[in-house]
Amino acid sequence: MGFRIVLALALASVALPAGYGQSNATRHAAAVPVPVKPPDAAKQQTLSTRVVAYQIDARLDTTKHTIAATETLRHRNLTGQPQKTFPFHLYLNAFQPQSTFMTEHRRDDPDYEWKPEHFGAITITHFEVTGIGDLTNQMQFTHPDDNNAADRTVMQIELPTAVPAGADVEFKIAFNDQLPQVVARTGYLRDFFMVGQWFPKVGVWWKNAWNCHQFHNTTEFFADFGTFDVKITLPQNEIVGAGGDLVASTNNSDGTKTLTFHSEDVHDFSWGASPSFTDVEDSWTGSAGTVKLHVLMSPGNMSSAPRYVQVLKGTLALYDQWIGPYPYDRLTVIDPPHGGYQAGGMEYPTLITADTSWSMPKGALLPELVAQHEFGHQYWYGMVATNEFEEAWLDEGINSYMETKGMDALYGKSASIFNFRFLQLSEDDEQRLTYLMTPNTDPITRFAWLFYDDGAYGGITYGKTATLLLTLEKIIGEETLRQALHTYFMRYRFTHPTGEDFIKTVEEVSGKDLRWYFDQAISGTQMLDYRILDAHSDLVNWYEPEKTALKNSDVLYRTYVTVQRKDDFIFPVDVKITFDDKQSITEHWDGRDRWTRYVYDRKAQVVSAEVDPGHQVWLDRDFFNNSYVVKADSRATEKLSNIWGFASQWIAQLLAWLA
Amino acid sequence: MADARPRTFFSGASLVWRRQRVLWLMYIVNFVLAYFATRGTNERIAAILDHSFAADQLVHGFNLGAFGSLAMNPESPFGGSTSASLSAAILFTIFMIFATGGILATYYSGLQLHAGAFFEACGHHFWRFVRLTIYLLVVLIPIFILSGITYRIYGRIDKQSISPLPAVHFFEAAAVVILLLLICIRLWFDMAQVIAVAEDERRMHKALRRAAGLLRHNFGSLFWLYFRVSLIAWIVFAVGVHIWMEHLRPESILAPFLLSQFLIIFWQGCRLWQRASECIWYREHQRAIAVATQAYEPTPVTPTPAFSQ
Repeated sequence: MGFRIVLALALASVALPAGYGQSNATRHAAAVPVPVKPPDAAKQQTLSTRVVAYQIDARLDTTKHTIAATETLRHRNLTGQPQKTFPFHLYLNAFQPQSTFMTEHRRDDPDYEWKPEHFGAITITHFEVTGIGDLTNQMQFTHPDDNNAADRTVMQIELPTAVPAGADVEFKIAFNDQLPQVVARTGYLRDFFMVGQWFPKVGVWWKNAWNCHQFHNTTEFFADFGTFDVKITLPQNEIVGAGGDLVASTNNSDGTKTLTFHSEDVHDFSWGASPSFTDVEDSWTGSAGTVKLHVLMSPGNMSSAPRYVQVLKGTLALYDQWIGPYPYDRLTVIDPPHGGYQAGGMEYPTLITADTSWSMPKGALLPELVAQHEFGHQYWYGMVATNEFEEAWLDEGINSYMETKGMDALYGKSASIFNFRFLQLSEDDEQRLTYLMTPNTDPITRFAWLFYDDGAYGGITYGKTATLLLTLEKIIGEETLRQALHTYFMRYRFTHPTGEDFIKTVEEVSGKDLRWYFDQAISGTQMLDYRILDAHSDLVNWYEPEKTALKNSDVLYRTYVTVQRKDDFIFPVDVKITFDDKQSITEHWDGRDRWTRYVYDRKAQVVSAEVDPGHQVWLDRDFFNNSYVVKADSRATEKLSNIWGFASQWIAQLLAWLA
Repeated sequence: MADARPRTFFSGASLVWRRQRVLWLMYIVNFVLAYFATRGTNERIAAILDHSFAADQLVHGFNLGAFGSLAMNPESPFGGSTSASLSAAILFTIFMIFATGGILATYYSGLQLHAGAFFEACGHHFWRFVRLTIYLLVVLIPIFILSGITYRIYGRIDKQSISPLPAVHFFEAAAVVILLLLICIRLWFDMAQVIAVAEDERRMHKALRRAAGLLRHNFGSLFWLYFRVSLIAWIVFAVGVHIWMEHLRPESILAPFLLSQFLIIFWQGCRLWQRASECIWYREHQRAIAVATQAYEPTPVTPTPAFSQ
């Protein structure tokens, strides 16, 4: 609890809600559908264009796992046109058996069993618009994605009069949450609470329409920037981590306490609580100032705390150097308790959830991996707030690519995930393997819930995007790609850019037309596989064997090297041919034809031929056929054979115990 | 009553050493079955790896990315590998049921049986031991149920406890108990097999009953005899695997092969050590009874057919 006191003192002079949302006079003036002129945006000097201002007062019942809350939401109509209709996300309603989320979940996992404790719900008991009155009876559930009438994750309200462009509207909502036992990022487990996506959240006006998708098995979130002032009342022994600065803490006479948090230039607010947390504090100073780190560790996992701190400080420094400043003064990490992995590995603005176990070996860098990935989302989702429903690759994929760079930089290139003497795995390889599991069922650009299944969504959105960006380094260079990401971040932070914005930025920074590549890699499902089909040398004068035998040193050989494009992805490749006089030739092939053949007449025979000798074409589905070495080397085969044979012998010995 | 004095323990090891042909026979059958089970996979792996630079990632270290990529290769090099290995394991188990009669005849007699006598003993007891294996599977059912209950309790503790450690400690304790129970059951059935060979007992339920009686009166010494050998086997196995993973050069081929085969031979040897020790124990136990009986009413001991040569 110490950090909250420190934060409270440090922030004591900070006005509660910055901007228009803090003015009572303004709030009262918003009576009629809205005609409230918002303050001059230029004078705010805010990081983002603040569309929303949430004020939430919530009370957690730790016994019933419920939250009773009131919410005041001021929404500024920046759509450029009058608005009568406002959609709201009610995410917690996804945790019901007939919801779209659960239907899709069961479709992809037929073994999934519904249990009563999986039930979650958000119920709006009162909905009022300031200046209009009670509209509770006007709420309607809508199903824009799949017409599932049983799905209640999107609610829409139609106002009797429109909100003029540029004006504000104020919604006053009372709602109750029933938290599920922890599932899909949120819920309770024993004394632990992870409270995410827990309040009615208004949709985003985007591409000239409301964007408010139902909650799907594979989708995440999309929301507008603004301010959050959240009061949470809960038992005094609870230790809380939240996506905001603690500005006040009051003990109540009924054994509860009320914590007040403030956050701005973010698009979501979540929090977690447990009396069993241990708070590990640290700090890091970068180009935008000092960031306080709070790592809330669950029992049994304390050995991972320094690992989290180390990777986060290292990653903060890398992002500061490579991408741009981290502008917030805090970062909270919640380490879920054992069995609570469903709450782990999730990102919210200035708050992430990690994942580890009591027995995590030092050589397995999984806690570091998860923490780094979720921190990366502070940039790719948190600040560059792309639409996770429709273009998930822009946050998950770019973030996964950055993860390869970050993990390699911090822990070494060849063993940045598993670093044992007997076993190694790099993050680059891990992303490529993820991609190879389901490489071509869907294009990357597909809406998240329309992928073949959740495996395809994961493999393509995360793994393929990371792999195609690693491959892009070959075309434009690693440093240029990094510069492009920096430009993309600086240009689009605190906005909602699209995939097209990203592609244009990369093309602009690199100065290259990359459509040919992105059309195949992002919009298409083509596979990339180049191989050495043949590499051999033959006597030029093969019809005069006697002469050849006499003048062995002057024998002229004709070498044939054939390279094949096995699949449909066209990509220019280098081909390196090495001869037994230790000379090498590197050819460049545009890869357009199905195959090409190189022929050399030299006084040397071919030793090897290799496509992509720099090992940069990570999208290539089969690295093994990229090279052909004339002289066989069976060491790898023998090694694997020995392991496999030993395993077979050992299994036989164990089974023979029955004899 | 005879007990498992150090003499029995070391005599068992000595007997396995002196009758090495038994050990080598078991090892060769195990090796050959594994060889044929993995040959197809090895050939497919060789076709992919032997002429590729990318194979180097599996030579200098063990790159899981390269291995995963190999497993997901369009040529499916590991297709059917698991079923082939499991089939080999089942064949080896059947072979061990067959060979146990000869093994026990050798150890009980203390003689070097010629091949004909060895296999005659194998055939003589084969169907008896098949029946005994079926009984064993029946006896193991409660153990499986116990394991299931244990797992559910583990799950319940894990679900309710704020710290993960109580459930882990429970699991460790339960695993030890179940392993000890398994040793006891194996000891019981092994003793029944010894009785079947020594007494040429055809009725396996009777052999089991007698073995249970012997165990009841000599449990401590017999269990200690078995437990020590099991402990040695597991320790050597763990140390060997540790050396393999942590101390051998990743690119070396011969040393890991020799080490892995040593571990298999040692493991097999320990199992035979248990069988030899038990035979010696039973022989001495019978002698003690005979001496006691002779003192009361002298009776000649008739050798059983399996080791009368």
